[in-house]
Amino acid sequence: MKAAIRHMLRNRRRSILTLLAVLIPIYFLIVMFGFINSMVQDMFESSTRFDTGHMQIRAVETRATGSAMPLMNDPADALAALATVEGIEWATVRLDLPAMASVGERTRTVFVRGVVPEEINPISNMADRIVTGEFLTSDSTGVLVGEELADLLELEVGDDMVLLGAHPEASLGAIRSPIVGVFKAHEATIGRMLVYASLGTARQLARNDTAATAIVIRVDGVVGPQDAALMDQKATALRAALPDGFEVQDWLDLLPVMDGYMKILTPMLLIMAVVFFGLGALVVVNTLYLSVMERTREIGLIIALGASRMRVMRMVLAEAGIITLAGAFYGALLGVGIILIVEAFGGIPLWGQMADYMKEIGISPVLHMSITAWQVILSAGAMAVVAMLAAWLPALRASKLEPMEAMRYVE
Amino acid sequence: MSNSPLIRTLDLEKTYITETIKTPALRGVSVELHKGEFTAVAGPSGSGKSTLLHLLGGLDRPTAGEIYLEGTAMSGLSKDQLAKLRLTNIGFVFQAYNLIPVLTVLENTAFVLELQGIVRGERIKRAKKILGELGIDQYADQYPHRISGGEQQRVAVARAVVSDPSIVLADEPTANLDTAMSHDLIDLMRRLNSEKGATFFFATHDNRLLDRVNRLVTLVDGRIAKDEVRDAA
Repeated sequence: MKAAIRHMLRNRRRSILTLLAVLIPIYFLIVMFGFINSMVQDMFESSTRFDTGHMQIRAVETRATGSAMPLMNDPADALAALATVEGIEWATVRLDLPAMASVGERTRTVFVRGVVPEEINPISNMADRIVTGEFLTSDSTGVLVGEELADLLELEVGDDMVLLGAHPEASLGAIRSPIVGVFKAHEATIGRMLVYASLGTARQLARNDTAATAIVIRVDGVVGPQDAALMDQKATALRAALPDGFEVQDWLDLLPVMDGYMKILTPMLLIMAVVFFGLGALVVVNTLYLSVMERTREIGLIIALGASRMRVMRMVLAEAGIITLAGAFYGALLGVGIILIVEAFGGIPLWGQMADYMKEIGISPVLHMSITAWQVILSAGAMAVVAMLAAWLPALRASKLEPMEAMRYVE
Repeated sequence: MSNSPLIRTLDLEKTYITETIKTPALRGVSVELHKGEFTAVAGPSGSGKSTLLHLLGGLDRPTAGEIYLEGTAMSGLSKDQLAKLRLTNIGFVFQAYNLIPVLTVLENTAFVLELQGIVRGERIKRAKKILGELGIDQYADQYPHRISGGEQQRVAVARAVVSDPSIVLADEPTANLDTAMSHDLIDLMRRLNSEKGATFFFATHDNRLLDRVNRLVTLVDGRIAKDEVRDAA
């Protein structure tokens, strides 16, 4: 071991090159993980916050309801069951209804989303998306429309809109509601389709005082998709507690796009890791090979003195091991250090159109970075294993040297 | 001196084969070396001295014939078995590039003991003792490039004898040394031979050394031309 360290110190430049070959891929991978983690978390958070939650309780579909969600006549039993499950951060009842919206002679098919404004306020950014007018209150009889729908129906705040409920499981209800606000949707389709109302107003439209289509739930301690196990655990507990007629939809059911994104992301990260690690491994093989070549006579002498092949291999691998461990350690330290520094300064703010776009889709215009201990261990560990495998080749060559030929070797 | 030979070779042949040329280096060499001998093999360049030494040391394999080291036939041994045999039975002194540059004199001396798996305390003790006996203990913490060629060869001798091998094989050990250094080194090896009973076998054409051996085997064209026992001091 002592000899291995001295060899490294004797050939500082080559040792540093080998160290960098291990360090740089780990550093890049950790930084990449840092950005991607944060982006995924942002996307997950913006989707699950209010829109889908981490899971939902819904009525079991007993007959085809088209694009409408099955109606639960009374969510009280489901709410009681939910109260028995620990670790639920937040839940709210929602009623989504297909409806016809008419203003004068103009009519559009819309979705009315009945919410409890006071409950969604703490976690939703809906209030921030109001362009004109104001956000809903529970006792409000008014509705919010998207900018696109307002344009199509030529509506302004204060105008009235007639809504005709069209849920296949509900009675036909009709209400006249004033427009209390216009919101900016993060997608034009949503802006054209979605009308927000208080839960009471939506229930009037369904002509059912207790109707709901979903109980939207957020689980305590969930930060991103990496907490899938925790969400699954709560979903399982909830399924066991729920009476017949209700079902639980988890985040994978609710966010198929997110699931698809995760499925693309994993192989993408893997490909990048393979490229980084492959390049690192090539440098490790090269530098160690060079080191073995330069020390051919010395290795020949060691074999001549009676060192076994295994001993010679161990000697070369020990040197590679020390450099690899140092590279892995400093690579991880540097990667984590950068993430900590970026976060200490509050992230990297985006500017211009990119920042505006991020804001529009409900994602923070500041790039954050985050990393888990497992990702650090995985990045450093995988590179260390690759480097040691790469070191195997020069070690094998060293062990196979014929002592006399090696001692006659001239550089 | 015991009658049972330490090393016995039987019709030893070695031919170096390149793509187009076959060069016979040894042609049927049969020789016995006994414990406590201070023997040299001499002969002109290309006579097969070094080849014989390397074959005896298990550093190379003969084309034909057999070598017995303390009764063990070496031809049947694997590379690792040969390495173990070298480690436990043979000490080597080479003409040049004898020491490991990243190890100190003490560590170089103790290196063979380390390979043998002897615990650190014990190997340091033994290495220091032999360095003291050879008068080079003051260089214990020096690296090889800090000491002279003669001192480096002394360290090589120390390393060769530190594990009490059956025989020390030395290939032109004085070739790179000036006269004074050569005499010093030869005196040292003679002292180890007479006081500790160490067995030495040299491949050399250096008369300064040849004059001091008890037995001289002369090789000519890969054959033993003469094998004479002499009085030497």
